[in-house]
Amino acid sequence: MNAGMIRVLLAWGLLIFLGGIEYFASYLPLDRSLRPLIMVPAVLMVLVVAIALMEVRKGAVIVRAFAVAAMFWLLVLLALGSADPLTRTNHYVPEAHVK
Amino acid sequence: MSSTVPHGFQYESASYQAQTAIAGMWLFLASEVMFFGPMILAWIFSRHWNPAGFDAGSREADLSIGTLNTFVIVTSSCVYALGVQFIRAGNIRWMILCCSATLLLGLVFLALKFGIEWPEDIAHNLFPTAVNFKITGSMEGGARLFFIFYFGATALHGVHMLVGIGLLLWVIRRARRGDFSSGYDTPVIVVGIYWSFVDVVWLTLYPLIYLIGRGA
Repeated sequence: MNAGMIRVLLAWGLLIFLGGIEYFASYLPLDRSLRPLIMVPAVLMVLVVAIALMEVRKGAVIVRAFAVAAMFWLLVLLALGSADPLTRTNHYVPEAHVK
Repeated sequence: MSSTVPHGFQYESASYQAQTAIAGMWLFLASEVMFFGPMILAWIFSRHWNPAGFDAGSREADLSIGTLNTFVIVTSSCVYALGVQFIRAGNIRWMILCCSATLLLGLVFLALKFGIEWPEDIAHNLFPTAVNFKITGSMEGGARLFFIFYFGATALHGVHMLVGIGLLLWVIRRARRGDFSSGYDTPVIVVGIYWSFVDVVWLTLYPLIYLIGRGA
């Protein structure tokens, strides 16, 4: 068994461990607004897959540029797209004023 | 990479051709991130305006099958990565075995998702257009939105898995024909990157569908 195979097996163990943390974290009595924090282990799992299985760090510079660009534009998409719903204030209108 | 490996006339070497193929797959996956991104945005938007209904929908999703499928797909990615290591070591037989095991795990995932989970959800009146939708009252609208996301996202992911299974069959066929060696493994690596991306998509969907709304 060579170093590459050992790295893959370690990555598998780490992924299962993080998956377990994520699963049990879902049972924590968190407030509804804090529950998206359960995504943190998932983000770490994505990083493990990208580094250990997809070997993004071993790729050419352009490979890393594509990977970083994908994450950057995804963040731009999510930030701009969610800016409106997350910052909008809804004002109560009494029913008598509703036509 | 061995200098005896043939390469296209437009590349100065086989190594350059391999790097181009791998970069091409990463560029394709970057466009795929932009394809799945709006789906995640739809989840954020829909849950923000309908938190109770959305979480009620999430609690109806089958956590046991979702978790088992997460284990299956993570394992499949790792088994394929082992196969890549085997072909680098020149062991074609074990590489084919790893690819075949990955294929089998992919089929298990699809069978659990579309052979058991979806039919159960539909039988329990959880399809978003169901007349007798299971969740009623003030949470019905949000729960229907959740199941639009659930069925849409898992269907798109399933289509990507089917493409991946087709690619695995292609790699196995070529490997059995003797097309690959420790000096020429580019298609094996490129397909592996795609398969791991399908895994990444599921790792994102799993908490969005099954976990975040569960304890709320």
